[in-house]
Amino acid sequence: MAGALIGLSMGLPWLGALLVWAVGDRRPRPQHALAVTSAILAALAALALMPLYQADAALRVNAGGVFGEFTFVPDGLGVFLAAVATVIGSLAVIFSVDYMRGAAQLGRYYALVLLFIGAMVGLVLTGSLLLLFIFWEMTALCSYALISFYNDDPKAVAGGIKALVMTQIGGVGLLAGALLTYAYLGDTQIETLLARGATLPSGVLAALAFGGLIAAAAKSAQVPFHTWLPGAMEAPSPVSALIHAATMVNAGVYLLARFYPLFSQVEGWTMAVTVVGLVSALLAALMATVAHDLKRALAYSTVSQLGYMVYAVGVGAIFASQFHLLSHAVFKALLFLAAGAVIHSAGTRDMRQMGGLGKQMPFTRTVFVIGALALAGVPILNGFWSKELILEHGLHDGPAWAYGGMLLGAGITALYTLRMTWLVFYGRPRCKGHVHDAGPAMRLATGVLAVGALSTWLLIGLFGELLEKSLPFHHLHVEAGLTLIEEIVTAGPTLLALGVVALGGLAWWYRANFGLAHDLLAPLGRAAAADFGFERLNTRVALATVRVAETLRTTQTGRLNWNVLGILGGLIAVLGVLAWGA
Amino acid sequence: MDTVEIVMIGAFALAGVGLYGLLVVRNLIKVVVSLQLLVKGVLLALVAAGKASGQVALGESLALTVVVADTVVAVIGLAVAVQVRRVSGTLDLKKLSNLRG
Repeated sequence: MAGALIGLSMGLPWLGALLVWAVGDRRPRPQHALAVTSAILAALAALALMPLYQADAALRVNAGGVFGEFTFVPDGLGVFLAAVATVIGSLAVIFSVDYMRGAAQLGRYYALVLLFIGAMVGLVLTGSLLLLFIFWEMTALCSYALISFYNDDPKAVAGGIKALVMTQIGGVGLLAGALLTYAYLGDTQIETLLARGATLPSGVLAALAFGGLIAAAAKSAQVPFHTWLPGAMEAPSPVSALIHAATMVNAGVYLLARFYPLFSQVEGWTMAVTVVGLVSALLAALMATVAHDLKRALAYSTVSQLGYMVYAVGVGAIFASQFHLLSHAVFKALLFLAAGAVIHSAGTRDMRQMGGLGKQMPFTRTVFVIGALALAGVPILNGFWSKELILEHGLHDGPAWAYGGMLLGAGITALYTLRMTWLVFYGRPRCKGHVHDAGPAMRLATGVLAVGALSTWLLIGLFGELLEKSLPFHHLHVEAGLTLIEEIVTAGPTLLALGVVALGGLAWWYRANFGLAHDLLAPLGRAAAADFGFERLNTRVALATVRVAETLRTTQTGRLNWNVLGILGGLIAVLGVLAWGA
Repeated sequence: MDTVEIVMIGAFALAGVGLYGLLVVRNLIKVVVSLQLLVKGVLLALVAAGKASGQVALGESLALTVVVADTVVAVIGLAVAVQVRRVSGTLDLKKLSNLRG
């Protein structure tokens, strides 16, 4: 039963992708219908899979003598992320019905989106390192193709290639991990690695752990690999929601959480993870505060919130990290889709040209404000509970300076969230032309997510049980839901954090009265607007790579005789090594 | 010296001739011929290796598969050679690679 559901939630989107592509772009109506149907059915299958969670493999595919068995394990981490990917993914698909109406090459769009969703389900459910690598690369490929969807726009193509190259760095690390595991343990199962990984030589284990951290940082857009995420904003808005909330960026946090029991044994690893999370959360929050592009500001806030999750893994709070992932997936998808509705209608992404849109788009304003409050961590929305849980764990189990940094980050989050909402929906209208509110499909998708942002924290108890019972290597001890909620409400740090959040909000409200502070902070703002130099660093690395490639190109003469000579030389070298070794 | 060894020596000789050809010739048709010689030598080695390891059927079936693929390579290579000759008037690889732009 569980095996069949795994197959369905992964296979249905892929089947849908093939069908949508086969229908052809001349008939957009069946394309929309097919895409929505297969995405929703996959989401239902993934939801039905949730109660059937188990720690053992439910689906085994015999892949022949070389690869052994490919397994799929519906454990707590896997089924939860599969549900997030398919449910949020299907809402993004529903949203696309309005957003992409009349767009060209609909078949390519839907096929890639559905392939993406299916690959993400496979990524989180597979129990084999090799398959993990393959699905990882599939998501990278799909994100590239979707970011560059408007492929006559050079910026979109550049953004797509950037995302591909950055996440590729992580892919290589994963492949190396799978090969090392196979070489030392004779198996590529994740379970084997977690169970017997401690017997690996310490150097190999350290290489695995830090390789995993780099892979996760690249995929989850953590500093210094975060620059691809704002570049990914050239994609259509539903794709942004998909990449930022449902699929891509969660993969990195998933990787860290999945291998935490093993990697945390490596000295310095948890500290490195904590620092990466802290730096990303703070720097990205500052960058979000000065961004003018609505989607860019949201992108930086994603980096910042992912920083919170990574930080939580660093201090050992796996449950809090995954719970925040759930909250973030819901409210960030909501924010991106609502922003998509605004951009669709206002025709610009620049917040300086918006303003006062709330009167013309009351529905969009309502759902956006709900999402923004959740992002800022205002009670009783889901972002509040998960962020407080992370901060509480950070105070108890992590270093104090890191906690202070994250607290500051929470304040800045409130500041930029309020700024964003204000610039778009309130104040004096700066927008020319007629603006219309969201269409029915857009309303449906954002409405469901708004209800989710208000209510998913109620699942805290069930969610804790799910993770606790099916992850034998993590040794999680999660208290019952009510106890957790009571703990958060009555804890001192909560009040502190709320105070900081309120301060952040007030800072925006009374921004006119900060003359001196404004002047003092201006250089910081300029540095943040320039991406703290990371963008330039990346460009320089990319240019250096191109130059080295150009230099090496001269060795490729294209003359057959020289190539054969090379092959012969290689053969002689191999034979020599063999003879020498024997 | 048993049969397998004799066949192996023959196979290596064939492959060697093919490799030498690829190293020195510049005519496109001769390149295809050299490639054929090289692959045929490898095929012979495959069959002989099958015999030596006691898995005759495996070696032969592998060799047959390669024969099919190799035929395709030869056909396409010769077709390309004909077209190249028609378009550029020469089959000399060195001259061809100077025809850039």
